[in-house]
Order: sequence, then C-alpha cells, then structure tokens
Amino acid sequence: MTTSAPQEVDDPLVDEKHSADRPWQVVVWNDPVNLMSYVVWVFRKLFGHPVDEATRLMLQVHNEGRAIVSSGPLEKAEFDCHRLHHHGLWATLERP
Amino acid sequence: MSAPFKRSRKGIAVNLTHAERALLATLPELVVEGGDAGGRLAYQAHTADAPTEEAYQTLVGDSLDTARADDRKTLASTLEEAVLDENTALAWMRVVGDARIVLAHRLGIDRDGWEETIDRSSSDAVLISYLGFIQDSLVSVLD
Repeated sequence: MTTSAPQEVDDPLVDEKHSADRPWQVVVWNDPVNLMSYVVWVFRKLFGHPVDEATRLMLQVHNEGRAIVSSGPLEKAEFDCHRLHHHGLWATLERP
Repeated sequence: MSAPFKRSRKGIAVNLTHAERALLATLPELVVEGGDAGGRLAYQAHTADAPTEEAYQTLVGDSLDTARADDRKTLASTLEEAVLDENTALAWMRVVGDARIVLAHRLGIDRDGWEETIDRSSSDAVLISYLGFIQDSLVSVLD
C-alpha cells in the first residue's frame, strides 16, 4: 500500500463564493480640475465623513493619485459611483 | 471682491452683478457643446470588465445625463433669484463644476499645477478661474 501526500486542488465553487463575499471598493482618482475644497465637501455630503476624514481622503487622492472612499455590495458601490460621477469626480469600482 | 454667496435666514443670498449672472447663463450651452469633455463627463465604473460595465450602463441608462440636464434647467430658471434654496444652490454648484471640466478639456489641462502655467490671456482660462472662485464660495455656504 502506498500513500501520497495530500495535494491542493482548485475548487472553483469555493473561489467563487469567496469572490462574491468580497466587498466592492469605490475608488476616487486624482484629477487636476476639481477644487480641494469641493472634493472634501463631496466626501462629506455623500458619505457623511467628518471633516478630518474627508480631508484625509482628499489629500490621499491628491498625493497618491487615488483613495478608496466607500465599499460594500455591488449595488451600493455602483450607487455611490454614480453619485460621484454626478458631482464630476473620477470614480471607478474594483474588487481586490 | 465681496463674497458672491452668503447664508441668510431665508436661504443662500446671491450677490452677483448682472454681468456675472449673464456669464453664468452661458454655462448650460457651454456644457452641452462640450459633450463628454474627452471622457471626463462620461467616466466608466468598471474600467477593466467590459461585460460588467455594460450591465452597469444598462442599469443607469441615461439617468446621469438627465440629472445633469435637470441641474442646467434649475440654474437657467433661477439665475435672477436673490435667494436660493439649498437644492438649487447644489444644482448651480454642479453645473459650475461641469463647466470647469469642459473648460479644462478645451484648455488641455491634464495635470496638477496648471494654475501656474496657464495662458491667462485666454478667455477660457479667465473663466475657469472665475468659476473656481464661484464654486469655492458655494462650497463655503453649503458647508
């Protein structure tokens, strides 16, 4: 009788489940047009962030090129993205 | 220069000259003529996933265009008002922002720091700076 070491196998169902569980992230990208004060206001207005957090996110966008401003299920993320677009901000969705 | 907008008990008081109001009246047409401003007014949500983006665009339909058109109509119909309510001021602010995006595209602005290098003799450059002043004042009173 021989034995073999356990081998890892791909389980697409497991991967798919984990993928579906991961929240979507709403990413705002730096653009050279929108005022810093306006971007802070949008983050406060749309997401209810306190001024310190909204300012931190705005500076992250400005200095690093992007920031994650909200996350959640696809429907919520798409709603947030749509509202950001209505306010002229460059927003996209991703799921890590 | 006095603040163009101030909070009052009745709402948001507008302190603009006739010439300034006439200038703002040109913004709806400017935005419409600007189209999607090189994609800046037609951002995609799912940039790396075409089928998901297609489903998203089907879901949202023309709601973004409709919302922007409603904002422009609100601005156009309230330009002579002495006092704005908050929702009207929000519409003004978004139209001003859309106009700045269109102007930025026309001016070829694609990176930070353009304020230091822009040709200030250009009427578009003057307008984008003035609209920044207007938008910043609106942000202050809506804060």
